[in-house]
Amino acid sequence: MKGQGLIKGLGITLKHFFQKEITEQYPDVMPELAPRFRGCLRFQFEKCIACGICVNNCPNDVLSFETEKSDKSKKKKLLSYSIDFQYCMFCNLCVEGCPTNCLYFDHDFELSSFEREDIKMIYLRPEGLDEAEDSQAEPEEQEDKEQKQIEAMLKALQKNPQKVLSRLLEGEEDINILSELIQSDQKTAGKIAELMIKDKEKALKVARGFINKEKKNRAQQEMDGGKGGDNDV
Amino acid sequence: MEALFINLAEAFTGWMIRLGLNPAWAESILLLVKWIIVITIITVNIIILIWLERKISAFFQERLGPNRLGPFGIFQTVADAIKLLTKEDIVPSAADKLIFKTAPMFFIVVAVMLYTVIPMGKDMEVINLNIGLLFFISVGSLSTIALLMAGWGSNNKWSLMGAVRSVAQMVSYEIPLAFSLLGVVMITGSLNLQDIVAAQDKWWFIVLQPIAFITYFIAATAELNRGPFDMPEAEQELTGGAYTEYTGMRWALFFLAEYTNLVAVSALMATVFLGGWQGPWLPSWLWIIIKTYAVILVFFWVKWTFPRIRMDHLMSFSWKVLVPVSLGNILLTGAGIYFCRWMGWC
Repeated sequence: MKGQGLIKGLGITLKHFFQKEITEQYPDVMPELAPRFRGCLRFQFEKCIACGICVNNCPNDVLSFETEKSDKSKKKKLLSYSIDFQYCMFCNLCVEGCPTNCLYFDHDFELSSFEREDIKMIYLRPEGLDEAEDSQAEPEEQEDKEQKQIEAMLKALQKNPQKVLSRLLEGEEDINILSELIQSDQKTAGKIAELMIKDKEKALKVARGFINKEKKNRAQQEMDGGKGGDNDV
Repeated sequence: MEALFINLAEAFTGWMIRLGLNPAWAESILLLVKWIIVITIITVNIIILIWLERKISAFFQERLGPNRLGPFGIFQTVADAIKLLTKEDIVPSAADKLIFKTAPMFFIVVAVMLYTVIPMGKDMEVINLNIGLLFFISVGSLSTIALLMAGWGSNNKWSLMGAVRSVAQMVSYEIPLAFSLLGVVMITGSLNLQDIVAAQDKWWFIVLQPIAFITYFIAATAELNRGPFDMPEAEQELTGGAYTEYTGMRWALFFLAEYTNLVAVSALMATVFLGGWQGPWLPSWLWIIIKTYAVILVFFWVKWTFPRIRMDHLMSFSWKVLVPVSLGNILLTGAGIYFCRWMGWC
């Protein structure tokens, strides 16, 4: 029948009349933002390695930084990092490119300012960062890495000693002897694993030492074989 | 409570006669006071009505509407009115100045005149005319001339387009408007609005004349230039239609008159079809206000639901649908009345 649509339309508007308003009362009530909302671009100075990927990625030349050659190491030393936010189009390419995740977007979107220059954010090198970088941050991290490698090696050694040791030693007899030793003794295994990561030559020497000792032990055991069983001396 | 305002009026005339005034003079002064009250009520009511429309249209669109100034934003319209009052009054140099200036005055005067005959309660009206309905229809159609004056006087193509459209629209919708009311007049046998209200003590005429009610509602929407028939204004096409060149208070007068017309037509609809001031428990003057506002809310609801229809559709709808339907309703009513008499029911 003609006119049904009109009644339907009236019904729809009436339904909307009693629904909750969706207006955001913004300055009074802050809006709920999605977790990945791109508000203000922030920078963490300590994490930056001055690789320049962000600057290369940026389509609008928003990012720029200054570096200095460090006298202690080959690494570049970051002096300042600036974000000229007025040109940013929030494409997220800098954040995606950053290898150390030192750039991120936070939820602060109230970026208006009275002067054009006020929107430009410049991060200067924080005081005390030099000493922190030299003494603590890096060695600790390296140690951490080594520790993990050692643990991995130890696991591999205990699981399949022959295969791992074949990389270190030559001669099937020696390998067999050492692998038996490793499986029976945790300490030896730990030592070998640690040395294999840190210093291969030293590991070889130590391994040889272990093997020779074991060989002597076995020879002795054979000599006074009548006396005892398998008891250690 | 029922006779509150009547007693007030009588006390007022009595007081003036006791002061030594001629009773005829006292009556005329009372009439003047009534007029001042009507105008005050209209102006205050418009402020509430504009706020209400903005609020309700917002709710229909899931917005909040005005909510900054005062509780629920009720003072927003007051601020708007003050702004309009203090605005510069611009008259285009090429305009027909006399017509341009008189058009808004004419419009508001015509709109206010409609209130003369509306019964605002039991025995409460400015003048009890025995041709009240005829007076209402004829005065109501005068507002077309005001719009034509505004459109012609502005000397602007948009204004003239709006005026021409409004004349075409109002003239076409005047016919079904009058015809749909004719059914009610045939039943009551009177053009007096008080008589029409009194005839509805058992059945409201919306029950006896449903087709007339619908045709009257549609025609009244067109007559009021309200959406979906707001062709004369059509701000997307005509930048304000006949009101394009008006600023400040002159424009505000047009706005005021439109809402005044809206209230008047709603009050007439409540009077003719919804039992007027009749109703249980509450005093009669409260009933007419409640019913009028209910009709106004339906007008708002319709306006904020339907899109504006095209000019040629508007005209063809009036001439091809509404006029035949309202004529058919008259035929049906006449046949019904004869049937009733023949059966001896009335």
